Amino acid sequence: MSLEGALLVLFLAWCSLGALLAVLLSERRNPTALAWTGSLAAVTALCLGGRILLPGSEIQIPLWTLPGLGNLRLSLNPLGALFLCSAATVYLAASVFSAGYLGRYLGHYSLRSFSVLYHGLFASVVLVFVAGDVLSFLLIWEVMAILSFLLVNYEHDKAENTSAAWLMLAMSEAGTLAAAIALLILAKNAGSLDFSLLAAEGARLLPGMRWAVFLLSFFGFGVKAGLVPFSVWLPRAHPVAPANVSAILSGVILNLGIYGIVLVNMKFLPVTLLGPGMLALIVGSITALVGILYATAENDMKTMLAHSSIENMGIIVSGLGAGFVFLASNHPAFAAIAFVAAFYHMLNHSAYKALLFLGAGTVDSRAGTRNMDRLGGLIKAMPWTALSFLVGALAISALPPFNGFVSEWLTLQSLLRSVELHSAAIGSVFAFCGAILALTAGLAITCFVKAFAMSFLGMPRWKEAGRVFEGSRSMTTPMAGLAFLCLFLGITPTYVIPALDKALAPLTGASAVQALVPPFLRSSASAQLPAGFVSEFHDLGAQVGKGYLPGNGLVVLHRGAERNPVVFAMSTSYTFLVLVLLLAIVFLATRLWTTPSHTVVRKPRWDGGIARLLPIMTYSATGFSSPVSVIFDALLHPRRVEDARETVHEHFRTAIKRRPERAHILDWAIFRHLAAAADAIANLCARMHNGRLNAYVAYVLIALVGVLLLS
Amino acid sequence: MRGWVFTGLKTGIKSTRYPEEEEKRPGVSPGLPIAGGNSLGLVDICPTNALLASNGQVALEYGRCVHCFRCARAAKSAPLDWSSGYEWADLSAKAGETAVEFGQNGFGRSLHVLVVDAGDCGACLSEIAQLNGPYYNMHRLGIFITPTPRFADVLLVVGPVTEHMREPLRKAYAAMPTPKRVVAIGVCALSGGVFVPSFASGSGVADVLPVDVVVPGCPPPPLAVLHGLLVAVGRKPPSRMFVSQRPVEERTPVL
Repeated sequence: MSLEGALLVLFLAWCSLGALLAVLLSERRNPTALAWTGSLAAVTALCLGGRILLPGSEIQIPLWTLPGLGNLRLSLNPLGALFLCSAATVYLAASVFSAGYLGRYLGHYSLRSFSVLYHGLFASVVLVFVAGDVLSFLLIWEVMAILSFLLVNYEHDKAENTSAAWLMLAMSEAGTLAAAIALLILAKNAGSLDFSLLAAEGARLLPGMRWAVFLLSFFGFGVKAGLVPFSVWLPRAHPVAPANVSAILSGVILNLGIYGIVLVNMKFLPVTLLGPGMLALIVGSITALVGILYATAENDMKTMLAHSSIENMGIIVSGLGAGFVFLASNHPAFAAIAFVAAFYHMLNHSAYKALLFLGAGTVDSRAGTRNMDRLGGLIKAMPWTALSFLVGALAISALPPFNGFVSEWLTLQSLLRSVELHSAAIGSVFAFCGAILALTAGLAITCFVKAFAMSFLGMPRWKEAGRVFEGSRSMTTPMAGLAFLCLFLGITPTYVIPALDKALAPLTGASAVQALVPPFLRSSASAQLPAGFVSEFHDLGAQVGKGYLPGNGLVVLHRGAERNPVVFAMSTSYTFLVLVLLLAIVFLATRLWTTPSHTVVRKPRWDGGIARLLPIMTYSATGFSSPVSVIFDALLHPRRVEDARETVHEHFRTAIKRRPERAHILDWAIFRHLAAAADAIANLCARMHNGRLNAYVAYVLIALVGVLLLS
Repeated sequence: MRGWVFTGLKTGIKSTRYPEEEEKRPGVSPGLPIAGGNSLGLVDICPTNALLASNGQVALEYGRCVHCFRCARAAKSAPLDWSSGYEWADLSAKAGETAVEFGQNGFGRSLHVLVVDAGDCGACLSEIAQLNGPYYNMHRLGIFITPTPRFADVLLVVGPVTEHMREPLRKAYAAMPTPKRVVAIGVCALSGGVFVPSFASGSGVADVLPVDVVVPGCPPPPLAVLHGLLVAVGRKPPSRMFVSQRPVEERTPVL
């Protein structure tokens, strides 16, 4: 057995050991055991993913052959390994975090069952990436969906949790059904369940079937990814789960939806039509806008983060859509850039969203509330949590030098490359979606300025503020680790992009490294570039570090045709260095120029001279986001005023009761009607049960005749 | 309105040239009485007890005079002389060595002023507001009004300091960075004025804060306020009215 196979077996062994220990150990010792086995399993999975991704190799493990269905097998390619690495990183952080966090459930809920479900979910997530045929993929996908349902429903005695979990399961099952149909269409076409054969036979499908497969897989897997209009379950289910599970749901399970979309539409049946890409782009940008609008208006910390996950999924899908369009219009280099942007954003989102959810969990467990209108001033009591949360907020707001900036910048740049498509219609759609994404980026900053400032700065606004203390070391360490990961992914894009390219180059047929990261530091490779181009960039400092740094230069740039040598370029590495230098200069200058006569005097804050500044007088979260809620009121709260007229009394013949109804725009626009239709159908069917024996005998007769006729 | 650019250019600068040249236009100051003479009957008709009998002479407490003109228009006895000047600002008795001497410019060419209304009737405030207008235009001297004490160099206080403004005033002063000056504007801020100490108001700013410069008048004209600000930063000599209790000689009687 190869080393990779051994690592996979070792990983499954850690998960089984975790589940076994959970049953054997006492409730009190369960969190520590979970942290150990969970993080060891995560490290093993990381090693496995790295072994596949970095050399760009692939493993195949045949399991057994089913009569009539073909081979069942496990296979791991660089694409799966990329998702695996991102999932394992989130799991590593969440597992360590659990040691300190799970204590709050001790005595209330069973930690044994949590531990079993947690390890089961981890194993099933990894096996989804490893599944090499339709049957095992769908089976393990179902296991994953049910385990995540059980974990969302962990605090099962609360009605809102249960209803949110059931909604999640129902929508997830509907999505799985659609995705299963798409996979079965492909399997029938190929005459096999094996993933490797599905891809080979895809070219024979007619455009109509291609559209059907795209729509079914895009929206079917899109339910898991939280795409509009199937995102309504997400802001209900993610906040009610324990924080470590929320981090996994947002950082891992949402990515599974993206994995499904990518698997079908890039691997098995590469998109050759323009329409699907345009649809994905539009759905993605609308998802991003709807997500961030609701996130900005939301005051519950975890619900806000869940809405923001929808936004990030929208950005990822926009990047994918742009890639599909470029691929269909024969621009594989631009497609590679767009896909790199999308996958980079997916990695980034996993890192900072897990960080933010863990931060929100720490705040929730220490302060006892997640309402940002009530929190405030936490930075004094929990400085490390606040610092990590700040890094996460900066990263998700796409501010350099953190990681969100790189991927959002690449996404917007790849949308601007639509000028190469020479089509006014496509160009205007790209411009529209780009504008929506730019608006989204602006709103994201508003949203996370509010999230950080209202929770950690200012005055505490709830009663038990004095009793808050910093999270334990097992809680702050994973957050700090994820914060460093955000910084690392932000300042080393020229090293991350080649790794992403390993996973994507086989799918797009073009290398993004050649288009994006010119290998300046390697003399042999730079011989391929035009000499004038190299010398120009040599003057700009693109080769600084040659001989010290391994691999690529530090500038991300896209090289165009002769007349336009540099289309876009940036370097977060240099941005970071300049930022550090400027800060150091300012620090030194203030130190040098501060003489004893220039002493710093601390005085109480200026409150306008009022007698006593009460917390209730300070700026609240609702007030901060109020301009956004007012401007986008029609989208945020589509109102339907109900006029109920009823006869009350002789003299006051009709009393009109006005009741404005506030709802999520998707509930209001789509699911309200679906629910009403389902009710109507159920009522219609209920008429069959009229209680008369003659009718039931007739039903039996009709059914019998029908079956006989059909057979 | 159409030719406002040309009208403006034709009219030229109409702002006062005050600190460089003396302002001589009629009506820029209501004036103050000049103490002296021995018509002690005037002491009884003064409504604010600003006139006192001292060694057989009529003395004047500038911190109380509301220039009501009673003493200037008295029919029975010989009326007091009246001055038309406006450079009334003086260093307060308690200013001591913290005060900026004339010529010793303590604040450079930029001065930011926080105005606190500690319960005034509105007259002093309206005179201060004139300084922002085109005629007096204090911006040409580098003086600006600021809404926050964090940027303020001078605290300009008007009103007798009512009970409810006592604490905010103290807080505003505490919030100002050093070096800082307090200028009390108008007789209410100097002595309580017509409100006199009562259950609702105190007897001036000096009860609450260390006052550096005092400007008498009810209300003091804008140029007197400007003089007060210039005295506070050492760009004009103080009038020494409070030290000598007598106006300076060059003031000419008008009535």
